[in-house]
Amino acid sequence: MDPTSRITLRPFKLTDVDDFLKYAGDKTATRYMRWNPITSREEALTHLETVAIPHPWRRSIGLLDDDEDRSIGYISIFPGSGDDRSRANVGYILAAEYWGQGIVTAALRIAVSTVFADLPEVVRLQALVEVEHRASQRVLEKAGFLREGLLRKYGYCKGEIRDLFIYSLLSTDQLRI
Amino acid sequence: MDPEVKNSNFSEIITLRPLEVSDVDNLMVWASDERVARFCPWEPNTKREQGLDFIINRAIPHPWLRAICLNGKPIGSISVTKNSGNDACRGEIGYNLAWEHWGKGIATKAVKMAVKAVFEEWGPELERVEGLVDVENVGSQRVLEKAGFYREGLLRRYVVFKGRSRDMVMFSILCSDVENCSL
Repeated sequence: MDPTSRITLRPFKLTDVDDFLKYAGDKTATRYMRWNPITSREEALTHLETVAIPHPWRRSIGLLDDDEDRSIGYISIFPGSGDDRSRANVGYILAAEYWGQGIVTAALRIAVSTVFADLPEVVRLQALVEVEHRASQRVLEKAGFLREGLLRKYGYCKGEIRDLFIYSLLSTDQLRI
Repeated sequence: MDPEVKNSNFSEIITLRPLEVSDVDNLMVWASDERVARFCPWEPNTKREQGLDFIINRAIPHPWLRAICLNGKPIGSISVTKNSGNDACRGEIGYNLAWEHWGKGIATKAVKMAVKAVFEEWGPELERVEGLVDVENVGSQRVLEKAGFYREGLLRRYVVFKGRSRDMVMFSILCSDVENCSL
């Protein structure tokens, strides 16, 4: 059965902590994230309580499994503030064992279909992706994002300055099939 | 000592120095001008108090903001923002110049001087200076190109100001693009 048909997006709950720790603590899954793997259940609980749950728009990617919806990753959409509030940064993570099945692409398409209504001041979603992270570039392209350019030495990722591709999707863009 | 550049065509000297309260009347010349404010997020200043407020509360505490002076007289301003954490490797440049001094290469000179100064002052942490220019602001795009910046792409509906979404062109110059880079 196509796993993408068993995907849901929902807010995080504290009871997601053990599932969350599985991917948030995994070096492979967190490789391109700007934060270091979370190594303890306490740290995971704190993160859920202080970051994931109060977040303006973060959704656990849930895999439906015997009527339970297990968190296997998340999509995070973070709007700017003040003059930058029309623009939101997109990030996502998926447990490594689920890679290569189109799950993040499917989840991102669901996210894109609701986020502009949820965050009405946002007109632009953008994502920054490392040059080597081709899988993530494909996810964005399949979800309808447009690559706008390469930003040289744009930011630090895990202590090293990186060149980053910038992608965007506008509220006025039609979702590509 | 602030850097100075001689404009060989007119024997005019361009210098950069911090803004002072006593510069307010010169500042109002460009800050009140609609043509200067056109692609900026702010409306033209109408009162001297606004100019004073800018100098005291924005310009003086700013991590890097300088008056662009022509033979010692302020005719514009230029600034570079400083970021922290994962963004500390980049700063964003912005500038304003009084209308009567457009088209003489002064902004280009000021940009070159500012870029050199911030790479020296904030290196090795700072590696990138970027500029975001409204897609319709062709004059400013030319300034950055002549100052050695690379055009990286068009960022669609990147900011909203004065009630409209703006497409912005992203430009950047790296420390390694500049001669005598210390990295």
